[in-house]
Amino acid sequence: MTPDPAIQVGAVSKRYGRTVALNDISFDVKRQELFALLGPNGAGKTTLLHILCTILQPDSGTVRIGGLDVIAHPTRGRRDVGVVFQEPSLDDRLTVYENLNFHGLVYGVPRRLRWQRIDEMIELVELTEWREKLVRTLSSGMKRRVEIARALIHDSRILFLDEPTVGLDAQSRERIWQYVGRLRSQRELTVVVTTHYIEEVEACDRVCVIDRGEILAMDTPAALKAAHGQQLLRVVPREDATAAEIIAAYPDTTVRRDAEIIVKSSGDALAEAFLSRYGSRIRRLSVEEPSLESVFLALTGREIRDQAAGARERTLAFGRQGGEHTR
Amino acid sequence: MKNVAIVPDDRLGRAIRLQVGGLYAIWFREVKRAVRDRGQLLGGVSRPLLWVLVMGIGLNPYFRGEIYGEVRFVVPYTYLQFIFPAVIALNIMYTSVQSAVSVIWDRQFGFLREVLVSPLPRATILLGKVLGGATVALFHGCLVLMLAQFADLSLSLGDIAWGLLLMALLAFGLTSLGIVIAGHIRSFEGFGVFSNAVILPLYFTSSSVFPLDPSLTGAQTSVIYPEWLVFLVRINPMTYAVDALRGAFIHFHQFEPWMGPAVLVGMVVVFFALALRGFSKA
Repeated sequence: MTPDPAIQVGAVSKRYGRTVALNDISFDVKRQELFALLGPNGAGKTTLLHILCTILQPDSGTVRIGGLDVIAHPTRGRRDVGVVFQEPSLDDRLTVYENLNFHGLVYGVPRRLRWQRIDEMIELVELTEWREKLVRTLSSGMKRRVEIARALIHDSRILFLDEPTVGLDAQSRERIWQYVGRLRSQRELTVVVTTHYIEEVEACDRVCVIDRGEILAMDTPAALKAAHGQQLLRVVPREDATAAEIIAAYPDTTVRRDAEIIVKSSGDALAEAFLSRYGSRIRRLSVEEPSLESVFLALTGREIRDQAAGARERTLAFGRQGGEHTR
Repeated sequence: MKNVAIVPDDRLGRAIRLQVGGLYAIWFREVKRAVRDRGQLLGGVSRPLLWVLVMGIGLNPYFRGEIYGEVRFVVPYTYLQFIFPAVIALNIMYTSVQSAVSVIWDRQFGFLREVLVSPLPRATILLGKVLGGATVALFHGCLVLMLAQFADLSLSLGDIAWGLLLMALLAFGLTSLGIVIAGHIRSFEGFGVFSNAVILPLYFTSSSVFPLDPSLTGAQTSVIYPEWLVFLVRINPMTYAVDALRGAFIHFHQFEPWMGPAVLVGMVVVFFALALRGFSKA
């Protein structure tokens, strides 16, 4: 008998008023898989993740984690799951250690094991020197690391990471992925991560491209590229007339706001023909090999944009203000 | 390296450890945050000082009718003694309702999610929060109690124990009320305004600063005060809470002695049930 998949999602739908956030979503995540949900902001990734970690009820559909129906038994399902939310969820008036210990207690981790895990995890995310510092004194990258450490204090076999690297600098982002990699080598862990940074998805086992509440494609990065990837020519013409000509000649183009034209290319032959015809009239040309970026463009008809996470920014701004009622 | 004891996988033990540990963690967090909040402590100390030492001593001579030149009735208590239990109630009321701010805080800053995805049932989470807030409020009530000697109270150990029990019930009920209120309010600013709009009217109409009957005998009530005021005092549950505390600390009741404790228990049950209903939906 093969073990149950780590996660089984069956026909999950969720709507907010008249907006459909998720429309009949179904997929399985295998054990120990690194599974990515890729989509632009507002695609429904976070809604899906909230349903998976049982703090949101779907309108219809089933979610099984390790074979257990977690919609019917949310508290039992939560024991196996570690979550890192998109919005920070640490108590910043407590120290790093106190936050982790709190987590261990509310997940019923026995004392010895709790202390051992706290030490291990703090070491893993390289915050040993910050152990007794109040969380409010940490940088946002460090807070993220504390949250990842926290999600693994109990026996979580599934780790949900909702945009774990959003708003962080390149170095911190790199580190977070290192930790995730190290953790997966140390213990049996299934990781589901949402992101809208395409380059981060390359290392994942499987990618689920999601937009407007629907799954557009789901496969390994290599297979996605083979099936939907395209060579892209990114062109900046010297004159508007040239631009109009290119758009007329190649029907399937996308024009970006900064006047860059993206031409979908069928291969090197097309690129060469393009060059010989327009070579002298363009300011810049780059040939982009099939990438997940182009997969995304092909599937959704638009590029993923890095929009500011509005709610998160507001929350952070409020936190900095403090104030008498904020304790 | 230490050996980690292998804990037998018994379900009951695990469930108990989860519930007790979780309750303790949530309670302890509330207490710890309160201890680290100097502003709240300052309020908890200055409020009783003002009410007991300034207002209590200042109005003391007027209480017994002595300023009329003739003593029309003899009151066996000083004004200080009379308002002292009410100030305890006031301090508990402020702290309890304020402690509910932490619910808004947690929601705003995402910490609530961390608790909500944990395997703890909502009831345990709420109980931990209420117990934590109530502990802090009880402590603030005890801050007032330390001024007892200024009010010439002679308290037996039994009085103190009974008084503390009543204070704990009051703190628990009011913290639950605070959480009910917090459930309907989304911003810190709104809560500040609203809590003052709840606390002060409840306090002033609880027969805290004046007795329903100046002679304390119950004979002249409707003669002295307009009926609407008497009505407000009588429907205010805080009236009975204050009455219960008076019973404990100065052995004086305006109402039947059983009414105070009964209303307190009623507040605990009703407000906690309401808070639980709201919290389960959150």
